[in-house]
Amino acid sequence: MKSTTIIPDFRLDMIGEPCPYPAVATLEAMPQLRPGQILEVISDCPQSINNIPIDARNHGYEVLEIQQDGPTIRYLIRR
Amino acid sequence: MSWYNFKYQYLVRFWLPVPAVIAAGILSAFYFGVTGTFWAVTGEFTRWGGHILQWLGLDVSHWGYFQVIGLQGSPLTRIDGVMILGMFAGCFSAALWANNVKLRLPQHRIRVFQAIVGGIIAGFGARLAMGCNLAAFFTGIPQFSLHAWFFAIATAIGSLAGAKVSLLPVFRIPVQLQKVSAAQPLNQHATRERQHFCIGMLLFIAFVLWAASKALDEPKLGYAALFGLAFGLIIERAQVCFTSAFRDLWITGRTQMAKAIIAGMAVGTIGVYSYVQLGMDSKIFWAGPNAVIGGLLFGFGIVLAGGCETGWMYRAVEGQVHFWLVGLGNIIGSTLLALVWDDLAPLLVVNFDKINLLKTFGPQGGLLATYIMLGVFLALVLYWEKYFFARKARQASQTA
Repeated sequence: MKSTTIIPDFRLDMIGEPCPYPAVATLEAMPQLRPGQILEVISDCPQSINNIPIDARNHGYEVLEIQQDGPTIRYLIRR
Repeated sequence: MSWYNFKYQYLVRFWLPVPAVIAAGILSAFYFGVTGTFWAVTGEFTRWGGHILQWLGLDVSHWGYFQVIGLQGSPLTRIDGVMILGMFAGCFSAALWANNVKLRLPQHRIRVFQAIVGGIIAGFGARLAMGCNLAAFFTGIPQFSLHAWFFAIATAIGSLAGAKVSLLPVFRIPVQLQKVSAAQPLNQHATRERQHFCIGMLLFIAFVLWAASKALDEPKLGYAALFGLAFGLIIERAQVCFTSAFRDLWITGRTQMAKAIIAGMAVGTIGVYSYVQLGMDSKIFWAGPNAVIGGLLFGFGIVLAGGCETGWMYRAVEGQVHFWLVGLGNIIGSTLLALVWDDLAPLLVVNFDKINLLKTFGPQGGLLATYIMLGVFLALVLYWEKYFFARKARQASQTA
């Protein structure tokens, strides 16, 4: 199993939530971080692959890593 | 490229949605050429509802709606029926290849409510308008049927209302931002990965063989099944979500899926046009208030439910129980529409014209009008995107 070397500061566990809620919660959570801090979003909504990364970039955040090799997807996003 | 790389790049990783939707647009035009009908799903869902009522002993043969859409045969003897079977096989194979099948149970009661009620509203609206995101939008606009334009505009408005309602506090489950010091280990069920991949391959190969043998007897059914398989692969692998194309314009300002769908319709349009020039008849429906009301209901319903009639199909086989309920809601809603059709039709539907843009404006004019309107749609999407983020930047600078 692959893991990540990036160490997040906060986690948003969105397991079981359908779209658009994972993306909405991510965008609401990001401003609570200090610049440079990293949020880990865990989602098992496959559709989130088409929204969380693009929304995060569109709203001015940096997507560091996306892990998508199974039913659970991990997004690491830096404010 | 090694097998491992091929598998990882194309069978495990998600596909990019833009090329995938354009591929679906091209395939849907060929589908029309080969089978004589357009890529559509809700009509068949309504027939399933009709069959269920028949099993329960109800005589639905005199229901006007079933006379319009036909209730002869079974899903295995109808083009739409085998195509949908193909879609399910394609979605399921694709989800299994990527180890993306997992039972995902709804975490909150309010989501169950959303799924069923949204599904019913969307199913009812779609059938009132004579099509869903496919027949009255993605494959309806390339058929040059004016009703699809009414439906598309109304769906956009309905989805705005849906987006507002879906974000009301009652639908928002509070999520806690946890302070952490390490990434969470993900349990990706590595042991299941291989097993699921093999099952997915077996299913895929078995379905291809079945469809190919069907094509020897009844070519249209066989080809429809194979097209369905391809549509299924595309929508699951690329997570093609028509609901998000509308909804996320309003919620997060994301336009990628909307642009992809406009591009897909643009390529579909010229494909269908070529077949019409060769003498095929395009599928035209009533451009009446039904298309507008249906679109409003549909747009609202899909956003509340979280997925449309094609969206629930791939999510259901991924094990998302939420979307089993959306699918059930769709079938209930479309069957309810069939029940009240005979009262609504004279008022809202059948006394209005079926307008074929290729006849109204002539073949060249109709084609041009379609591309101009698609261009206007694209311009509106681009404008909205600019406006959305400019407004956001203004708000940010005010609060800062």
